[in-house]
Order: sequence, then C-alpha cells, then structure tokens
Amino acid sequence: MAGGHIQITDLSKVFGDVPAVNHIDLEMVSGEFFSMLGPSGCGKTTTLRMIAGFEDPDSGQILLDGVDIRRTPPHKRPVNTVFQAYMIFPHLNVYENVAFGLRRQRVGKDELRRRVGAALELVQLGELAKRKPQQLSGGQQQRVALARALILEPAVLLLDEPLGALDAKLRHQLQDELKTLQETVGITFVYVTHDQEEALTMSDRIAVMSHGSVEQIGTPREVYDEPATEFVADFLGVSNLLSAGAVSGGAGECLLQVGEFTLTARGGDTAARGQVKCVVRPERVNLKPADAPGPNRLPGTVERLVYLGSAIRAIVRLATGQTLQSLIPSDGRPVAFEQGSAVQVELPADALRVLTGGGRAVTPHAEDVLSDQLEGAADA
Amino acid sequence: MSSRLRHVCWGKVGLVTIVVLYILWSLAPVAIAFLFSFNAGYSRSTWQGFSLQWWTGSKSVFNLPIYTDAIRHSMLLAVLSVAITVPLGVSLSIFLSRWRGITARPASFLATVPLVVPELVLALALFFLVTKVNLPIVTLGTSGQVVGQVTFILPLVIVITIGRLSSIPTGYEEAAQDLGASPPQSFRLVLVPLLQPAILASAIVAFAVSIDDFVITQYMSSTSSTQSVPMLIYTATRGGATPALNAMATIMAVTTILIAAIGFVLYRLLARREQIADAPAPALAVTPEGAR
Repeated sequence: MAGGHIQITDLSKVFGDVPAVNHIDLEMVSGEFFSMLGPSGCGKTTTLRMIAGFEDPDSGQILLDGVDIRRTPPHKRPVNTVFQAYMIFPHLNVYENVAFGLRRQRVGKDELRRRVGAALELVQLGELAKRKPQQLSGGQQQRVALARALILEPAVLLLDEPLGALDAKLRHQLQDELKTLQETVGITFVYVTHDQEEALTMSDRIAVMSHGSVEQIGTPREVYDEPATEFVADFLGVSNLLSAGAVSGGAGECLLQVGEFTLTARGGDTAARGQVKCVVRPERVNLKPADAPGPNRLPGTVERLVYLGSAIRAIVRLATGQTLQSLIPSDGRPVAFEQGSAVQVELPADALRVLTGGGRAVTPHAEDVLSDQLEGAADA
Repeated sequence: MSSRLRHVCWGKVGLVTIVVLYILWSLAPVAIAFLFSFNAGYSRSTWQGFSLQWWTGSKSVFNLPIYTDAIRHSMLLAVLSVAITVPLGVSLSIFLSRWRGITARPASFLATVPLVVPELVLALALFFLVTKVNLPIVTLGTSGQVVGQVTFILPLVIVITIGRLSSIPTGYEEAAQDLGASPPQSFRLVLVPLLQPAILASAIVAFAVSIDDFVITQYMSSTSSTQSVPMLIYTATRGGATPALNAMATIMAVTTILIAAIGFVLYRLLARREQIADAPAPALAVTPEGAR
C-alpha cells in the first residue's frame, strides 16, 4: 500500500503558557521508519498525539497524503497508535482486543476471524487468543497492542515509546522484530522514543527534538556521526565537547587553538572562526603513551577507568582542565594505562567536528538535508 | 523475646480487642432485636419463652397489612431510587471527571453539597418546595419520597464513581477512539465495563441508604400508604408494638446485609478480573440501622 506520507508545517501547541511544540516542520515519507528522539518534554509525544488527533494544534497543518486531517476526529483518521502503556482493554481477551477495530467497521464474520487470526500470527500470538491481558507478559502485551493497531491496515502507525516498559534484553529482541515487521508490512512508522540506541538501530531517519523544536533531521549515521548541534551530540551518546578557538585553515580544514596546542579539524563547520565547540566521539579518541607527542595530540592524565563489558571508558583530564572520554575496546589485552597515568590524547582530524554558533543553532548542513528531502518528495 | 517485640505484640492485641469490641457493640442490638422476635409474650424487653408466633400465624409479621405494606413500600422506594440514582450519578461523574472546562471544579463541588448539608435541612427545604410550589409530577407521597431520596443519594454515587474513574486512565478511551470507536461507542464499550465495580458498589450503597432513610422519607410522605419501614418502626415503638415489629426489623436487616454481602463478593470478582492500576475498593460501609 502506497501512501502514508505525512507533511507537518509550522505546527505549534501550547499547554497553559508552556510551548510544547514550537513551530516545527516535519516530513515522513511513505513507508519509512521515522523516529522522533528527545528527552521528556521535548514535544515528541505531543506531536504524535496531534497526528493521532488527541491534541488539537494551536497552529499549523498536518497533511496525510495531501489531505488536511486537522478537523478529522481521531476515530476517523487512517492512523493507529501503539500507546506507551499499551492500553490493552482489561475486560476483553486477546482475540477481542485485536478484533475491536474490525468490529467497529462491521466486517463480516468470516473476514473478521481470518484477519484477527492473521494479525495474531503476524505478532506470534496465535495460541494466546483466549488469554486475558492480565495473564500476559509485558512483551506479549506489546504485541497485542501492535496487532490491534496493524489489523486496521493504517496508512501510518504511531508508536509512543512502545518498548519503554520492558527490560533491556526483551527490548533488544523487540527492536529487531519491530524493524522486521515494519519492513514486512511496509507502512510508515512514526516512532517516539527517548532512547538513542532504539532510534539509531531501527530508524530510516531520526528527528532529534529539544524544547519543542527540531534540532536535526537525518539518517542514524548522519545524526550520530555529524551532529549539527551541541544538543544532538550530547543526546546521541557521550558528549565529548572541547572548547577551542578557531583561528584559520585551508579548504575543508580548520585550525583550532586549545591552550598552547594546535589541532586540525576536518569535520563540521570548518569555516567557523572565533570561540567554537568541537565534538569527538569517544570511540575515535585514542590514548597514546605520554612520551609520544605528535600532531593532533594533547597531554592529559587518566582520571578514571570504567569497565563497561565490551569496552573500557577512560576519562582523561586535559592539561587545560577540560575532560574527554575515550572508549578502548576490550579485546582481552590488558589496558596499557592505569588511573593517574599521564597520556597523550590523540584526536584524529577527521573525527573532530566543529559545531556552529557555540553549538546551538542548526547548521546550514542540516537545512540542506531537510530541503533536499523536501525537494525529493516534491519530485516524487 | 525482646522488649520491643513484646511491645509490638501488645499493640496488636489492643487493636484486635478494639475491633472485636466494636463488632460486638454494633451487632449486639441487632442480635437482641432478632432474639425478641421469638418471644412467647407480647413484651419487647422481657423474655417470656420461645415462640414462632410473630413469624407465622395470625399475629405474625406476614399477616398484618400495616407491616407488609411498609415492607413493600420500602422495597419500591429502594428499587426506584437505585434505578434513578445509579445511571444519573454515573453519567454525571463521567461528565465531571472527563470534562476539562473552567466550571468543572465548582460543578464537582456543588454536586456533592447534599452530602454535607444536614439531612433534616434538606428534607425541610424539599418539603417547602413541594408544598409551596406547584411542581408537575412531584407531590408529597411516593414521587416526592423518590425525588427526595435521589437528591440525598446521588452525591454518594458520584463520590464512589469519581473515585473509580480517577483510577481509569483516559488512555483506554483514547485507544478505543484510535481503533475507530466514536465517543459514544468508546463510552459504552470501554468505560462502562471498566466502571462495573463502581456501578455495583453505587447500587448497593443507594439501596442500603434508601431502605434506611427516615428523615426525608418521613417529610415527603402523604398518607399511610406511603409509610416506609423506618417510619413504621419509629411510630410503632411509641404505641404498643408487638415483637412482630422485631421480626420486621430483622427481615429488613437481613435483606440489607445479604445484598451488601452479595454485592461485595461480586465487586471483588469484578475488581479481580480487571486489576486496573490498584484501584482502591470503595468502602462498603453498610450498617443495618434498619433494625434499630
């Protein structure tokens, strides 16, 4: 089924005098897995609820396949929701929960039985049809919620932190299942989460949100590797931020002054000058012996070593007073450094990204991405 | 045993004693009234031997029209009051709890005002309203008694139902609408089933309060045909009542206790079936005062 294309323009919602959603523009392309990622209070759930019809926008437009759905009540919108707490009807068994939507459409007896059966098979709950919701585990309830929504063949499926209530192991398993399911049914998924890992592993594209605004939109790789703002860098993993003075540089390069040392950065807004912030992923930060200074290296002291299982996190205090984190893969070899030892911190030029405007504003790059996508959609 | 543990034990013993004494104290009068309905003599205070004469035969409670009429009238009032207060109170509660307008708070407050107004004041006010203003339909007699009882009982139903409603997240109604149910359908198919325990509890409380009500029922009565059991007990104790009166009081007490017990069991079953977010069971404080 083609369709399921959502175009949000200038959408706003204020609760009391708190702006929950602040003039945002978003586009979800037909059939994509789109995530809205941000901390609580960033406006992601409010945006989702406005698409579902449970909140009335103060301004702006929501087009679903070209049709303005703002005046359509929730029960007439061709979208379905998987709620955060699932909201499985406690007085109905699994079968009746899944059949609820079809019964409202008054489909025939045989079709009802066939489609409920198929929906239960899709989420592997066939043998639990007669169970009451209280007899289900969290993961099973989540599947009932999915089957109940998908059975109506919506143009768009809205998911409000559907894995939030589950334990870590189950969450990982269901992430894979959800992604596979989305590829099977091929409808647009709009997924709200505060878990960056969830968003990164499942999404085709992610909108990182903060304080009712969109900070950056891009593929998981783009928002992770090329964060446009300090907030995005911080929210998607560890914020390894470095304050520096951008002094000069050639094409696609920028020379950074950190104390008495000079670094070269080849990522981000290399045209920026003056006081800037740079970001570097912890896994790109290399620790070298203290007696091996070199280009793009800063001296520091290992302040703390934290064992994470698959890696070891080293927190290094630089001579300038700032701290940086380095992820050392645990490959069985003993770590060459211990707490308190002096090291050289290597920051590869390719891994150093300069953030614009102190890291707050959206970079031209992100706007390029957005307008490219908008044009691409208009062409389609 | 440490002194601290012993202290805890004494506290427990003290609490148990208080509870047992309270139960005895509240049940003893009922038991005594029940016992004297088997008195062989005419006295309701001096034991003169065992007899079933007040339960069967020409002098029994079932053979005196004044008693049977009162029982029938009390039952009629109770059934009518339940039939009106429960649907009305549940609808009002849903409106008050799910409605986010600026007048919602004052409206919730006003709806529970009859709960704090002394019953006698309410009864007098209703009496003047009915006698001084020519209302259609509502006159002194059965219609007036029902309207009076409904006014008095409705806030109880609202308090019980709103308590339950506040434990049902609005998400269930949203989920129903999300799946294509119109607002009336989501009400009927989701909210009403989830409210079943509260509806049941309301019905029991309404029934018990109606059966038990004296002040309003007395003020709104007209002829002797609108005499309820509590009214009869009140007047009969001043005249020469026989132990048949005790038999009647026993019947009313047992009826109320039975209905409360059945309701409580049903409530537990319904509540266990659902288990919504630890909804607290409303206290079913039904005391058999009809037997005083």
